[in-house]
Amino acid sequence: MHLNNIHYEEKKATHLRRIWQTFIDNPLALVGLWAIACLILLTLLTPFIAPFSPEAQNSQAILMPPSWHEHGSVEYFFGTDDLGRDIFSRILHGVQLTFGMSLVIVFAALFIGFIIGAISGMMTGLKSSILGHLFDALLSIPSLLMAILVVAVIGPGLTNVFWAVGIAMVPQFIRAIHQAVHEELQKDYVTAAKLDGANSLQIFWYVIMPNVWDILIIQVTMAISAAILDIAALGFLKLGAQAPSPEWGAMMAQGLDNLLLAPWTITIPGVAILITVLSINLVGDGLRSALVPKRN
Amino acid sequence: MLSSGCSEPQLPSGLVYCSEGNPESFNPQQVTSGTTIDATSHQLYNRLIDYDPETKQFAPQLATQWSISEDGLSYKFELRQHVTFHNSHLFTPTRFFNADDVLFSFNRIIDPNNAYHHVGRNGYPYFQSINFSQLISSIEKVNEFEVIFHLNHKDASFMFNLATDFAVILSKEYADNLLLAGTPEDIDYFAIGTGPFKLHQYVKNDHIRYHRHTSYWGPKVDTQQLVFDITPNSTSRFTKLITGDCNVSALPRPAELSVITTQPNIRVVKNPGLNVAFWAFNTQKPPFNDLRVRQALAHAINKKKILSVVYNNSAVEASGVLPPASWAYSKHFDNNEYDPQKAKALLKKAHVTDLSIDIWAMPVARTYNPNAIKMAELIQEDLANIGVKANIISYDWSVFTQKLAKTDYDSVLIGWNADNNDPDNFFTPILSCSALASKNNYSRWCNIGFDHILAKAREQTEQFKRQPYFQAAEAMISNQVPIVPIAHAQKVVLKDKSITNLHVRPYGGISFAQTTQTSTKDKQ
Amino acid sequence: MWQYFFRRINLFLATSILLLLVLYIATGLFPVDKSFALSGIATPSTEQQLQINQTYQLQQSAFKQFIAYIQQRLSGDFGVSINSQQAVAGELTRVLPASLELAFVAGLIAIAFGVPLGVFAALTQNVFLQRLILAITLTGYSVPVFWLGLSLLLWFGVNLNWLPTSGQINLLYDIDSVTGVMLIDTLLSAKPYSFAAFQDAVLHLILPAVTLAVLPFTIVTRITRQALTNVMEQSYIRAAEARGLGTSKILFRHGLPNALVPVLKSIGLMLGTFASYGIVVEVIFSWPGVGNWLISGIYQRDYTVIQAGILSVSLLIISLSIFIEMLHTAINPVSRKELYASK
Repeated sequence: MHLNNIHYEEKKATHLRRIWQTFIDNPLALVGLWAIACLILLTLLTPFIAPFSPEAQNSQAILMPPSWHEHGSVEYFFGTDDLGRDIFSRILHGVQLTFGMSLVIVFAALFIGFIIGAISGMMTGLKSSILGHLFDALLSIPSLLMAILVVAVIGPGLTNVFWAVGIAMVPQFIRAIHQAVHEELQKDYVTAAKLDGANSLQIFWYVIMPNVWDILIIQVTMAISAAILDIAALGFLKLGAQAPSPEWGAMMAQGLDNLLLAPWTITIPGVAILITVLSINLVGDGLRSALVPKRN
Repeated sequence: MLSSGCSEPQLPSGLVYCSEGNPESFNPQQVTSGTTIDATSHQLYNRLIDYDPETKQFAPQLATQWSISEDGLSYKFELRQHVTFHNSHLFTPTRFFNADDVLFSFNRIIDPNNAYHHVGRNGYPYFQSINFSQLISSIEKVNEFEVIFHLNHKDASFMFNLATDFAVILSKEYADNLLLAGTPEDIDYFAIGTGPFKLHQYVKNDHIRYHRHTSYWGPKVDTQQLVFDITPNSTSRFTKLITGDCNVSALPRPAELSVITTQPNIRVVKNPGLNVAFWAFNTQKPPFNDLRVRQALAHAINKKKILSVVYNNSAVEASGVLPPASWAYSKHFDNNEYDPQKAKALLKKAHVTDLSIDIWAMPVARTYNPNAIKMAELIQEDLANIGVKANIISYDWSVFTQKLAKTDYDSVLIGWNADNNDPDNFFTPILSCSALASKNNYSRWCNIGFDHILAKAREQTEQFKRQPYFQAAEAMISNQVPIVPIAHAQKVVLKDKSITNLHVRPYGGISFAQTTQTSTKDKQ
Repeated sequence: MWQYFFRRINLFLATSILLLLVLYIATGLFPVDKSFALSGIATPSTEQQLQINQTYQLQQSAFKQFIAYIQQRLSGDFGVSINSQQAVAGELTRVLPASLELAFVAGLIAIAFGVPLGVFAALTQNVFLQRLILAITLTGYSVPVFWLGLSLLLWFGVNLNWLPTSGQINLLYDIDSVTGVMLIDTLLSAKPYSFAAFQDAVLHLILPAVTLAVLPFTIVTRITRQALTNVMEQSYIRAAEARGLGTSKILFRHGLPNALVPVLKSIGLMLGTFASYGIVVEVIFSWPGVGNWLISGIYQRDYTVIQAGILSVSLLIISLSIFIEMLHTAINPVSRKELYASK
């Protein structure tokens, strides 16, 4: 057993190294990875580099255009909104809310989805089928509708976004893991392990899981980008983060009144969301081609 | 008006008004909201009398003449003849308008035994707030076309109140028919009136369609079709005006007016409004029952900043409730100037620490307050400066008003649009004890002395005698701070240049009866 | 085949009942009185209250209540709207066709542009063009739909003034609702201006439909490219090539039909996201559809509207995705290939 394990570790390392090599050969994916690294750095450094507090109003500088505009000022790099708040600082603080929140949600959903998905995947027969149907039903409710249902029950707010997006996301993980585990379970090498006398926990952890990680990683990157878009959409619809929160979607909702007068109050948070989601998708795409080389 | 020989298919004739929200009902007797008034009073209905803001005289509508008895307790009205009510899929009138309709319309409000008194869930908030049922002892039908209102006491505001947008005339025949059919509540939804337009279709959240009332008694109506395009978002209203989906657009945001200069087809119609935006404290709830706390909060807010951010400096800073456009206005000293230090000291004196309050802010734009939520955010920041934490609470308008009536809120940002030119309209409906019962008094402040001053003012008929009382009332508000008056806004609508004869009155709802449209294609 | 069909129907029923259960439990959790959340009647009279208790079995066990709930909802009784006090079912039948119209046109645009672009991407040898198409699709996939919608609205509506930006039609056109689909209703209308109204309706549809089409367009392009690349490497294509068939003939007779199968499947998987995007697009362009209705329902805490909106949209998605899955199985090339192989 012990010997097996060491042998196994070795194989995994080379596997990882190969994936990494394929991944960094893709320039777009690398750009995405750098962008994400910057975002995480920004999340940590926000308090030190943001020039203003996200809620500090300045009635002397209302709707100032961004600094590259002829009426702009360097003091307010991205300009100000209609309460004279510095958009640059708000975007920086928003990273924590929109991007950080999406990470929290995805990992919470992953945790729960992993447990349920693994258990249901290991089960067979009617029980498995009933569980499968249950999650199909939950999955058929679009995330936004699920969020509306949650808001109807507990009211809008940033914490409720956690529940709304999370509840909508758990079934996706369950389904992905359930299916992956289920498929692996049919394969010959699992049967071989069973014949060797391994119990189901051992089979799951040492035999099946190493082959499911790939799918899980792809699923997680997809879920993060979906979560960001959902959080922002809820903020935009005023069902998520509430004013004066600098959550990006909520910032766009707050800027909506000034669409004609000061389009940058909407464009800048919009571009921030676009860049974040795009870099995550680039990384996801790169990972996918590295993990499943044949398909791409 | 379209030339029939035209081969190119054209847009049907009519006028589209981008309005800001759904009406709560189609009967203005039951509401105080401006949105509902706009959609009903001047379009569907008539009142007995009108008040002409130009001549400052009462003008005939369904009443042609009137006289007041020596003692000021009886008002006699001669009614207009040959006035037809609308017809609809539910109702075809068999008779002209007469005294029975007048009696029904007002008895519904004042008589709890009237079969229709309890129809509708809102009651009659305006009439309750001015204590109308206590004022009227009876309404007498002299003959088919003559009625007399008998009052219990003298009231200089009575005629003004009959001229408000709320005092509309309904059809008794229609009411009787509906009662027989067992669907009395239809009277406020499938409305029948005598006004220049009749209700054709209402699709919630989408539009209200009116057709011209072809046998309207009044001056000829040009507009064949009137559509209220319900567009809650102010930017959408503005873009619809630019793209030509609307001809007239309600409640532009003051900041948008600066964009209009780039749009050659859009015109601005404005008028100094008779209105006031204010911040009301729930004076029945601690700590707002403490005068010092109210004063402290009043001293904390920077009205100048609000004026520049929310109103784009298009409004007048309010020192009292009455706007400069009112005849009873006079400049007076405001006790509650912006002074955060004083505010902190007052809070300290009141032994209030770590105060956290809720500010309810209207979700919709109103003439007096184009963006209450933004205003609340500014106040939030001001309060943070004196160490008070504020939460902003907002719901969709209909839920907002309902919840407000049921909840023990802390404070609310709201305001008042005058319904007539009578200064009393700024005090009795929103701050008196009777307004408390009708839930129109958002400060929940009931002061016998204050009511007494207002009663004195109503007993006088000459302006110069009434003015001192209104000044005394103003001083009392400034001292007691049940509300903090913030601004008096301009009344603005936008229209495209083909629309003429659209007048914005300083008070009350909008009217499209006289509006005309020059087709942009008719060049010769 | 029949057994398969039967299993899918079973799946549909089971999922629907679970969905109803989720909604029923949520209804009980709404912060209002349960009978109010179920019926929507604001101030019920005593008889009405008794009637509500009777209809929804409120004095009975939770199970019986749930059965009564299913019976009511499936028979089309959604109660009355809390806000307007009008029947919810009536409002729903008014808004649903508008949403389907928008979704259908958006889907059509996505396929009409996505499939050719995907084919082009799979066939082109130009690496730069391949990368460009990949970049476009990835960007389209990552762009927040509300920002895209607002930007299009600002440019094409306000700045250029080419297209109307909100609503379904200029409201001066008084079009009677027959099917609820504006494009059809305008043509059915007997009014003299019916064709002008149709043109106006088309113009109003362009911006929202294009905005909504971006997501399915990018997915269709990607999947078509991937699938076609895979298919073109298959032995039967090589065999066709060896027989000397022309590229376009191979493409249209063998390549594309097989490549479109995974596209179908991806459309089925995308429905939920598509619905979410549709809601946002409807809100931005004030499109009078289910999404807009549902969002104003939540602002107004109109609990009966919320239930009806969620139920109808989700049921639609469930049935559509099961239908697509069945279609997918019916034309699945894998089964055909197996037949081929066994020969």
